[in-house]
Formats: sequence, C-alpha cells, structure tokens
Amino acid sequence: MKTLVPALLALSFLLAQPSFAVTKGVNLPPDGVQLRASPLPGYAKAQANCVACHSAEYMLYQPRTAPRPYWEAMVKRMQAVFKAPIADADMPVIVDYLVKTYGNEQPAAAATTK
Amino acid sequence: LGSWRPAFADDQLVDLPMDNGVRRLVAYPEKRPMIVLTSRPPQLETPWDVFNQGLITPNDAFFVRYHNAGLPGPIDGDAHAIRIGGNAVAKPFSITVAELRSQFRPVELLAVNQCSGNSRGLFNPRVQGGQLANGAMGNARWVGVPLKDILARAEPTNAARQVTFDGLDNGVFGGGDFVKALDVHHAMDGEVMVAYRMNGEDIPFLNGFPVKLVVPGHYGTYWVKHLSDIQVIDHEFDGFWMKPAYRIPDNDCACVPPGQAPAATRPIGRFNVRSFITSVADGARVRAGQALAVRGIAFDGGQGISEVAYSTDGGATWREARLGTDLGRYSFREFTFGFTPAAGTHDLRVRAWNRSGQSQPMEALWNPAGYMRNVVESVKLTAA
Ligand code: HEC
Repeated sequence: MKTLVPALLALSFLLAQPSFAVTKGVNLPPDGVQLRASPLPGYAKAQANCVACHSAEYMLYQPRTAPRPYWEAMVKRMQAVFKAPIADADMPVIVDYLVKTYGNEQPAAAATTK
Repeated sequence: LGSWRPAFADDQLVDLPMDNGVRRLVAYPEKRPMIVLTSRPPQLETPWDVFNQGLITPNDAFFVRYHNAGLPGPIDGDAHAIRIGGNAVAKPFSITVAELRSQFRPVELLAVNQCSGNSRGLFNPRVQGGQLANGAMGNARWVGVPLKDILARAEPTNAARQVTFDGLDNGVFGGGDFVKALDVHHAMDGEVMVAYRMNGEDIPFLNGFPVKLVVPGHYGTYWVKHLSDIQVIDHEFDGFWMKPAYRIPDNDCACVPPGQAPAATRPIGRFNVRSFITSVADGARVRAGQALAVRGIAFDGGQGISEVAYSTDGGATWREARLGTDLGRYSFREFTFGFTPAAGTHDLRVRAWNRSGQSQPMEALWNPAGYMRNVVESVKLTAA
C-alpha cells in the first residue's frame, strides 16, 4: 500500500492535466552485427575507427559490387565531414579490409558462403 | 540472390528482393518488429504487409531514419523549446511546445512521408548508400502549427531568403550536424507545419518527439526531428546535407544514364508519382479460376492521384482501377480491381497519374544517389 498510494496520486495528477505530453527517452538495443573478422591488418584498425559512430550494418549491407574508390571516398568522408579521428596512415589498410570484406574484391567463396 | 547469409542467431530475418538483402526484424522502443537497416543510429524500414492493413501507417510501424548516432537524451514534451532567429528576422524568440500548443491555432493534415532513398536497394545497376526496399514511407495524420504563423511572430525582413531547421540529434564527434533548409516562400506557404501529434498520439521518440517539421509532398530529408532551432537567413544555406548531399540531377527526369554523373544538380524536392499493389506479393501462388480482389496504394507530391491503371499481362493492355475515398492530396489513395486468373503465370502492373498528368516510367530511371525510384512495379503470380 505504501508504494501504491503515491502511484495513484501521480496517476490522478496526470489525468487532471489538460496537456498530454510526457517526458520520453530511448534505450536502444545493442548493435545487431559486428565487423566481419579478418586476418587483414585493416580489421583491427576498422574496429578501432569505424564503429564509434555507427554500427557495422553501414558496411555490411553495401552492395557487394562497391568498388575500391567507393570505400576510399567513404573513409575520407568520415574524416572530413563527420570528424572521425582516423589517422591518414591507417586509411589504406582500412580501405583494403573494407573492399576485400564487403566490396567487389571479396574472394568468390566469401561472397557466396558463410 | 545467393545463399550467403550473415551469421545471425535467433533474430527473425527477412530477405529483401536484392542481393545481400537479408535483414533482421527487431522491436525498437515504441515500435513493433521492424526491418533493421542499421541498428545504431536506428534506421528501420516498415514491413511490407503493414501497407495492406490500412491507409494510415501506425506509429509503431512508421519508418525511422537518423543520420547521426548522437540521439538526444530524455526530452520533456512540454518544456522542450524551439528557438526562432537568424539574421533575417526582426524579433527572434523562443517558444516551448506547451506554448506552441496553447498560443497558436492547430491544423491537421494527412500526409505521406517518404525517404529520398526509399527503394534504393532495387536500383540496377546498384548504387551505394542505405539499401532499402519499398518500406521507407508512411502515411500519418499530423497535427501542428503552420510554420508561417510561427515565423510571422519573428517578423522576417525583406532580406529573408531561406529558413534552416536543426534538431537535437548530433554527430558523435561534432561533424555533420543534420541541418536542412527551405526557400522562404516554401517555408511560408501555410502547409509546412511544426507537428506535435501523429495519428492522435505524441510523436514516437524515434520519429522526432516532441516536434517534427512536416513538409507535405516533400521527401523525408526535410522533416527534421526533435526540432529545436529555426533560422531565417539572408542567403542560400550550403551545409553538407543540402550540398553535396540530397541532390538530384537538375533535369526533367532527375535521371542520368546508369553510371554517369549529372552535369548539374539541385536539392531534392517533391515526391514523384508511385503506386503499389499491397494485397498480393510478387511470387504469390493463387487459385486458378477464382476471383481475386486486388488492392493497393498510390500517392504523389501533392497534386493528388487522378487515375490508376492496371495490367494483368505485363503491360500489354491496361484498364482503369477503382479509386477509393479521397483522403486529401497528400495522403495514400486506395485503388482496387478484380481479376480472375486462368491457370498459368500473370504479371500484374499498376500505374498511377496525378492531377497534372504526371505518371510513372515503365523502365526505372537511374541517378547516382538512388533517389526517387518510381518505376511501374511488377507483381508476378502463378495460378494453379
Ligand atoms: C565521426 C563519426 C563516424 C565515424 C568514426 C565513421 N563514420 Fe561512417 N558514417 C558516419 C555518418 C554520420 C554517416 C552518414 C550516415 C547517413 O548518411 O545517414 C556515415 C556513413 C557511412 C557509410 C555509408 C552508408 C550509407 O548508408 O550511406 C559507410 C559505408 C561508412 N559510414 C563507413 C565507415 C567506415 C568504414 C568508417 C571508418 C573508417 C566510418 N564509417 C567511421 C559517421 C562516422
């Protein structure tokens, strides 16, 4: 009863209010996918640099036809537009990992199985 | 469509009709299970069967599109304030949502919101970006205050050229804040609205609680969520999300030959005409000789749908479908037709026209960003 009374009071207060707005927030579920593991040196760099701002579906769902220039342009855009703290020196290996893992330089087997 | 599948565990999966189209279905706050394009920031596509359940898209099934993962924390839906300023107003001011509701006369409008990149994943050749099927659209009843009335209180000066809109969502490292702009005469047209109700409820957080800009007939990129800052300015705004992002080829078809870059571009604007069969899916098997009631939806950028034609033979011959009640020129419009399939395969097509005679192309138009797809869709049935 002790806890019920304040709850009822709060409820009647809300009902008496003419306005209907409330305070709302969100707790998001965890990321649904992770970057695909790879022996390529860019994998660790991508883990350190590429999932700080968004989940790995951004990479995973790109068309598998996406060529190296697309991945190069994207990594540069992340740095230039979105201020991603990616070292210039790390860019080539990150791009290499991306195009070979998600783009059009995937080994044929990786593109059709798993 | 290969056998490749990402290694997802227990989640429900859906296989969109594109290469690499396997997606998870997950229930986000205030949402039923939706097709997850990206989990963080959330980009959620409406499952297709929702569009056959009614002409209004329920709030818990309405698509979600964020650009930046810096989502706002909890927002008080009464105390949240919108600032109105800029170098082309005489009287900048700030107003809470509670004041907005009590000090202005509200308007109500049924209007479709559609992502610029809706259907991008269906382009051929493929284009990069969010790989959506057709579910990044929805029709809702919006209640809010005409932007014109709010801006008038700030007394825009003769120098006013554009109005910019910013919301509470932010880039994680501060870059690429999502800010959009409309020409001032568009912002003042009386239709653009600051909405605080969606289908009779508070707007879901992920659709922009507590206030969202509603730009009837225009692509969702302008429908800024968690609206917090409006600036009337004396020049053309050229932030990243107006230029180079969200631009289309500056020609009549907003298209270029596949693979080519447009010579000139302009900001994306109004929806083109679209129509979809919703009652039967591509690849369905139906009973031969049994009457089939087919229904679907059509919409455009605000002229209103005037006619929907259907074909059951892949576009060789056409007849007129019946239009449902007109719920307003920005709303989905229902159409229906009857069809008794003989045994064999049938290719159903629908094609809509709006009141100014615009329609849909039989062959898809292409542009590098994958915007504005509106080809006449094909639904193939097998009757046995
Ligand atoms: C500072 C934040 C940040 C970091 C770090 C970052 N990104 Fe992004 N990324 C973004 C934003 C913001 C977008 C734009 C999303 C949009 O258009 O909705 C984006 C978009 C993308 C896209 C395009 C997908 C689409 O749907 O258009 C790809 C691919 C991508 N990022 C890959 C990467 C890779 C690879 C890295 C690391 C090298 C990276 N990102 C690091 C913020 C970031």
